[in-house]
Amino acid sequence: MHITHLSLAGARSFRRLELPLTPGLHVVTGQNGSGKSNLLEGIALLATTRSLRIANDLELIAWDALRDDPLPAARYAARVHTAVDDNITIEVIVSARPATPGIEANAASRRFRVNGVARRASDLIGRLRVVLFSADDLGIIDGAPTARRRYLDITLSQLDPAYVRALQRYQRVLQQRNSLLRRLQERRGQPGELDFWDEELAQTGAMLITSRAHAIATLNTDAAQRYAALSTGSAPLEVCYRPALPPPLIETVASSTTSLAPKLLEALVVGRTRDIQAGTTRIGPHRDDVAFLIGGHPAGSTASRGELRGIALALRLAEVAFSTARTGDPPVLLLDDVLSELDAGRRARVLAAAFEVDQVIITSPDPDRPAPAELSAASRYRIDAGVLEPIG
Amino acid sequence: MQDRPPSSSSSPIQRLIEAFNRLPGIGPKSAQRLAYYILRAPADEARDLSAALVEVKERVVLCSRCQDITDQDPCRICTDASRDPAVLCVIEEPLDLRAIERTNSFHGRFHVLHGVISPSDGIGPDDLKIAELLVRLNGPDQEVREVIVATNPNLEGEATAMYLARLLGPLGIKVSRLARGLPSGADLEYADDVTLGRALEFRQSVE
Repeated sequence: MHITHLSLAGARSFRRLELPLTPGLHVVTGQNGSGKSNLLEGIALLATTRSLRIANDLELIAWDALRDDPLPAARYAARVHTAVDDNITIEVIVSARPATPGIEANAASRRFRVNGVARRASDLIGRLRVVLFSADDLGIIDGAPTARRRYLDITLSQLDPAYVRALQRYQRVLQQRNSLLRRLQERRGQPGELDFWDEELAQTGAMLITSRAHAIATLNTDAAQRYAALSTGSAPLEVCYRPALPPPLIETVASSTTSLAPKLLEALVVGRTRDIQAGTTRIGPHRDDVAFLIGGHPAGSTASRGELRGIALALRLAEVAFSTARTGDPPVLLLDDVLSELDAGRRARVLAAAFEVDQVIITSPDPDRPAPAELSAASRYRIDAGVLEPIG
Repeated sequence: MQDRPPSSSSSPIQRLIEAFNRLPGIGPKSAQRLAYYILRAPADEARDLSAALVEVKERVVLCSRCQDITDQDPCRICTDASRDPAVLCVIEEPLDLRAIERTNSFHGRFHVLHGVISPSDGIGPDDLKIAELLVRLNGPDQEVREVIVATNPNLEGEATAMYLARLLGPLGIKVSRLARGLPSGADLEYADDVTLGRALEFRQSVE
């Protein structure tokens, strides 16, 4: 797939950007703070409906629009060409709230449109698929478990609408169940009231767990091979799923959702008393983790900086192959200032992956890197203060 | 930030604006517009409105059988002998009763829960009119053979429906749920994935 047109209005550093794009390689150079990362973040937002780095949606709106406009809003839009659909328009519109002129906005709401029709977020996710390589990727390996769960959710959501729906439902059911556990702790209500929430949690949770187990099994094989090629001499890489389940259940996570759900339900029912004491649900995909092992040791605490970077690259490259294999249509690659830090060998391997997809957008602070010799076919742009201009 | 008037203002017009502003769906601008409308309207109109406001609080009560809002207890539907005593439709809010009545497709009686189970909002089964429902089914409404649970098709509505199904099943009463699928006159292309999926799952054979 590839983006044929990108349009950003009032979006972060972009007051107005209309960018026609062709398949192939695009290199955007500009100094730090010029809006390079915001450009790739904007594209990633259209794929996932959420920003990776920005927690408050209000910050998705350009700050001068917030200051000057009577009704500040940002519009992120792209026309996408895919293997099945030759022309889809996707839009994310972020509006400041409250929308009362003269009263300072303190929150924002997001709306979504596909081909001009208002849709839910879950209907937009996956229309455009991206794999974003960035310096923040190291956090997946040495950061908190939340970062690894978010990595899995972003990767799988783009590939499977059913995963998005299960995830959204799981989170709502979990919130209700935890509230009920605290009520029961205070002896307000009967444990039987948990029946509905336990069944729903088991159904949606089993779907998330089996999806994650299958994805990690595939990524593990591929990432291990790519890591061996990227980091010659290092001990082998292993990516292991660590589901937050009682030990006998862990063996069955690679089975089907329909066979896991009743076992998960049983485990939830058995654990009720302790869940009530704890006031929270102690098992389930909201507590999952992924282990990255180098020669059997946790990479987060033992690997060198160079090894960590190699793992992150291998993981992203495996993700590109996984996304292509699952859908038959390669994702758009976004490389946010990752090439300049790599040695020539690793750079060549990343660029080799770039030639296997339809479209790649690369940002770099250095106009000479990646060198024109490495990427002779690339379209080049210069970016300054949110204004993008083609070079040559 | 715009300067907001102090909330303890004693001017009558300010008090009225604040009173309107507290109503659901009325923002500060609408509240102002309503208050100035009342100020300019004939005195009779203001008297009628205030009388209606007081009357609604004094005369309207919950029907002791169906828990719907009514000005006579039991309400007109509960006392209507032409209603089918074997079917009872359980709904979340009084407004849902009006919606079902407009269809002219239901001829049984109602029971209003006044909410749905939602632990994160602090609402459990005991906070709803479920005990009142059991009293009805065990006493004055023993003829009921089917309870149609017409709660909203969201997570909380489903939780409430399942709770009722488990509670009423042992009484030998059939518990059913409203069907889910495509709205009439809808275009498949514009249906969202969840709705279309449900419509496929609960498809019907064509006679």
